[in-house]
Amino acid sequence: MDRKIDYKKTKKRLDGRKMDETRPLSIKTGVIENADGSAYLEWGQNKIYAAVYGPREVLPKHSADPLRSVIKVEYRMTSFSVPQRKRPGPNRRDQEISKVLGEALSRAVFVEQFPNTEIGVYVEVVDANAGSRVACLTAASVALADAGMPMRDMVAATGVGKAYGELVIDLNKDEEDAPDAVDIPIAILPNSEEIVLLQMDGLLTRKEWDAIAKLGIKGCKQVYEIQKKALVEKFELSEAKGKSQVAKEKTVKKKTVKKTVKKVKK
Amino acid sequence: MKKVVIPGEILFEERKRLGSNVFVSDGKIYSKVLGITDNENETATVVPLQGPYVPRRDDSVVGVITRENFAGYGVNINSFNECFIPKSAMRTPLSLGDVIIAKVSNVSELKEADLTFPKRMGDGEVISVNPVRSPRLIGKNGSMLDILSQGTDCEVFIGKNGRLWARNGDLELLKKTVKFIEENSYKSNLTNAVESLLRK
Repeated sequence: MDRKIDYKKTKKRLDGRKMDETRPLSIKTGVIENADGSAYLEWGQNKIYAAVYGPREVLPKHSADPLRSVIKVEYRMTSFSVPQRKRPGPNRRDQEISKVLGEALSRAVFVEQFPNTEIGVYVEVVDANAGSRVACLTAASVALADAGMPMRDMVAATGVGKAYGELVIDLNKDEEDAPDAVDIPIAILPNSEEIVLLQMDGLLTRKEWDAIAKLGIKGCKQVYEIQKKALVEKFELSEAKGKSQVAKEKTVKKKTVKKTVKKVKK
Repeated sequence: MKKVVIPGEILFEERKRLGSNVFVSDGKIYSKVLGITDNENETATVVPLQGPYVPRRDDSVVGVITRENFAGYGVNINSFNECFIPKSAMRTPLSLGDVIIAKVSNVSELKEADLTFPKRMGDGEVISVNPVRSPRLIGKNGSMLDILSQGTDCEVFIGKNGRLWARNGDLELLKKTVKFIEENSYKSNLTNAVESLLRK
């Protein structure tokens, strides 16, 4: 990237966003029929599927916990999700992300309610452009709620950091590659503001850190509102209507239309 | 007023009688699951919209025989643990794939269910439904079950574990109606809607 770019002068980011503006985020639930709960998320260029199975029998059996359910997360990137082909098998990064996502979700789910079981969470990155782990965590949390898991709270996550001399939220790939880049994925339980995931690459001053933590929590709360909307919009609280009721309503509508047409003709 | 709530959403900030699927933190009452709540109710409770089947004592369940050994049979009751019935509890031997109905007599702390009064069901079909929505299939005092069995001329047994066993009658119409109830279980005026659906 060009080293002369300075966000303090431009006041706008490379993709035209404000410093505290996230990329457009949309979530859809119930996209995978065979899963107990699922979600599809688009966050900027990131496209992610999350599916939840369980609670079910733990395999291998030695990993079972007689006091709680074990949340097993599998984070995978498809080989075509990044500009250069990724080898399809799980690598060190995939294993690390699977582990931290599982730990973050375990804090949110009432795992004590399903002893000796596992909850399988599978997240597949179809298209990636920085911030895929926070996007996966956001999608996985929605999929868990969609599966009807008892939870303390949703897990809302976002990326924050520093790029081209300014503190920014939800870094894209160009910003992650900036010479002074600091990338901090952060995830919280929005009600208690308890931090369940926090990783960091790069260096920050104490003052910058204080500002960034506030920015991160603000971003997570924006994400939470979108998660909430995605889960609620599927269920419309109206009256159920049978076939004959619908047919009756249609005939009534037709009659009223005919009457109005007659009136107009007169 | 009825409202759809998500896990972790605040239901009440004041003290209230606690119902199911809620928890208290710092004196506030929160929802545990994705479900529907009515804030005019005296108790804070959430009716779940999705969720797994967790066995409870006295539940009537529909099970499928999945395993046989020297002492008895392994039964799948749509829960995360397999159940076991001893051979001595059955008059006639069972084979793999047989459908039984039984009652849950006890549930252990690991949520393992003990079954009693197993009864083999003859030829029929098992229909799977969302376990948290199966109470709507039964209705108040079995009202919906009566409408279903009379409207389709089927012999119907509904298990609390999200499985429905049926035989004779119009099974296709039954499946269609069950799907309709499942999809509209959280809506009001469901009984009338089902009656109008079954009216020919």
